[in-house]
Amino acid sequence: MVAALEGLKVVDIGWIMVGPVSARYLTELGCATIKAETAKRPDPLRGLGPFRDGQPGLERSLSYHLTNAGKRGLAVDVKSEAGLDIVRRLVAQADIFVESFTPGAIDGMGLSYEMLSKANPGLIMVSTGILGRKGTMGLGMSGTGMTGSAYAGATNLMGWPDQAPVGPYGPWTDAVTPRFIASSVLAALHRRQQTGQGCHIDIAQAEAGLQFLTPAYFDYAVNGVVAERVGGLSDPLRAPCGTYPCAGADRWVVIDAAAADAWTGLRKVVGEALADPAFDTLVGRLRARAEVDRRLAEWTATRTPTEVEQALQRAGVPAHAVCDDEEMFSDPDLTHAGYYREVDDPVVGRSWLPGPQYTMTGTPHVPTRAGPCIGDCTAAILAGELGMGEGEIARLKAEGVLS
Amino acid sequence: MLADIRVLELSTPPTMLAGQILGDLGAEVIAIEPPQGSAGRRLAPFIDGRPGLERSLTWHALNRNKRGITLDARTPDGRALLAELIEQADIVIEAVEGEESLCGLARPERLIVCDVTAFSRSGPKAAYRATDPVLVAAGASPAMAGPPGRPPIFFPVPQAIMEAGAEAAVAALAALGARDRLGCGQRVDVQARIATMPATLGRLVSARSGGPHGRRMEPPRMGAMPAIPGIYECRDGHAVVTVAFAPAFVGLTQRIAEWLVEEGFLEAEVAALDFMATARAVMAGEAPATPIERFIAALTTGCKARTKAEITEASKRHRFMAAPVMTMADVAAFEHYRERGLFAPQAVGDRTVEAPARFAQFSNYEIAVRRPAPGLSEHTLEVLTQRAGLSPTEVQALFAQGIL
Repeated sequence: MVAALEGLKVVDIGWIMVGPVSARYLTELGCATIKAETAKRPDPLRGLGPFRDGQPGLERSLSYHLTNAGKRGLAVDVKSEAGLDIVRRLVAQADIFVESFTPGAIDGMGLSYEMLSKANPGLIMVSTGILGRKGTMGLGMSGTGMTGSAYAGATNLMGWPDQAPVGPYGPWTDAVTPRFIASSVLAALHRRQQTGQGCHIDIAQAEAGLQFLTPAYFDYAVNGVVAERVGGLSDPLRAPCGTYPCAGADRWVVIDAAAADAWTGLRKVVGEALADPAFDTLVGRLRARAEVDRRLAEWTATRTPTEVEQALQRAGVPAHAVCDDEEMFSDPDLTHAGYYREVDDPVVGRSWLPGPQYTMTGTPHVPTRAGPCIGDCTAAILAGELGMGEGEIARLKAEGVLS
Repeated sequence: MLADIRVLELSTPPTMLAGQILGDLGAEVIAIEPPQGSAGRRLAPFIDGRPGLERSLTWHALNRNKRGITLDARTPDGRALLAELIEQADIVIEAVEGEESLCGLARPERLIVCDVTAFSRSGPKAAYRATDPVLVAAGASPAMAGPPGRPPIFFPVPQAIMEAGAEAAVAALAALGARDRLGCGQRVDVQARIATMPATLGRLVSARSGGPHGRRMEPPRMGAMPAIPGIYECRDGHAVVTVAFAPAFVGLTQRIAEWLVEEGFLEAEVAALDFMATARAVMAGEAPATPIERFIAALTTGCKARTKAEITEASKRHRFMAAPVMTMADVAAFEHYRERGLFAPQAVGDRTVEAPARFAQFSNYEIAVRRPAPGLSEHTLEVLTQRAGLSPTEVQALFAQGIL
């Protein structure tokens, strides 16, 4: 069966996560994606773990592989005129070009949208940075997803009220933003199909992150309420609803039994400890929240998260272990869904990467492959896409253009 | 960009952001609710803290650029109307429990159906009941967030509905891409639990590949290397400052030191050290950690004496990475977002707010707030007379029976 975007060409010169993850979405849909990179200044993600067997190495980063799965590697130094020319020629025949350097750097490299779109008016180009290109602070502003989360308002909302904010796990905007980029590119492709028109898409990762927090933004804009961090799971309108300790080191389960039928189910399973008639009504449970939570925590503390989850789900109570990574790999539901894909890589060997984020029943995603080693398809790309002969490729290699 | 695309959203919390993204990108979106209103209308916070079906700010935040109608799909009339609307639609977005799509109605060949389930459609957790925090927990990111020794931390804003909605927008548009090329519609499936998993940022993959586990823990100590904080208290809140000694980032750290020297917080001889070499020696246990400790202490003191804005300004001048830890009040006031045109006016109840609507800036398209979030059944008459060929009297008759 043909994949959704088979035949389309993507050039991905992005690095770290946001640009390359966005390009992975397109790659999974069948686009032929070239990851252009130079060994003189490799993608910094290669230096960030986790690494295969915990051993660092440029080709050993698992984050790199999951971000770049299925792409083909082109080693090219765009600081040389010949290298720049190669990228320009590839982009001239590409459908989509993704870059995520410090905003504005791409113009200085001689790869501005204005220039590239002259040769290829249908080109859809993505530029993404923490604060985007437009606006006085955008150009020249570099950062990571930590910076992006701070500007998005996310960092301030995560942590304990009695302590400094700690922010969400890791560079959070890196996880949020690719969906907004992928949607924007796909919409632009639809328009191009009708009109032939391309476009330049400027996405600020902080603004994308903010889209996941708009209820808090509207609370300020309408009510003047500045949302603050609440620490652990806490919803003043729901009880019981929280994270409860379980047997094991740092193990927890989330139980949300605010709904009447869920509460009935919870009571049946837990029994005597929750039988107090003071807990019969939601208002009663809201007022006795601390006591209900204490009793529930006593009950969960002697059981594993999975035991609690299964016992409660059987009784129709929304509950789930706060999964750790080992559970994520043995999770029967993810296994059933075929979420993890085994890939083989010359350096990393056989390992597991997450597959596509959703399933297409009519035009399946292409099989998941490992990310490319630096420049692993350089000669094939130059010959196949640009018609270069062996001699020319050898000459460029000797000149250091292809490293 | 999607001006020719008609979307039906059978409104539930996880469909809301999906419908809105498609609407922002130009599609004509109709949100269909049961007569008593979508569950999304009952999500806090509320206008002035007063609950009401028209007062949910989560609803207002996630339903711009949609028209809203009500119908009871369990009645024969409701089903017939839904079938009529589906006939004219390009994309249907719905949340389903179990196997059944589109309330069991027939699917035209060109139709794209985007189904959002909590877990897998037919796997061992297919019958699991899930609410937002349950799905976030199942996605594993809380196991890695927050300081050890206390419970995992959560956003005070539901996240699974956002993750699933954003993923569903991608899935629906991917299917549109397929239809544009191949002519056929299809069903695409989004699992909200899987949608929450990117928030672990790849940490998950290491468990099976011999890497370190992704858990909440004190950062591993390398030799005598002190813990390096990422967030610093300042005069008016907190700032994120990226301090790292890896080759790709050590230059930034060196430039932080230059700033601290300029401001009189750090001795020039510490800043003059080669930080990468120093850090390596400290990690290897070959040198004392004193200079690194001195640097962190100076950064802590320096930040405390400066405002978020001053630190941000310094980071620009000295080219290191720092950012103000913004509150929502800071976000609303941030001049840069205004210059970019992030905000667009949107009516919310009887007032107008600046909504951060433009998640992307296109060279030849502008996301606009064409309409605010719909009131309950606001467009029922308009849509059913235009699209389903009903007369106004027929619409009234259905309303009188509680079908609309």
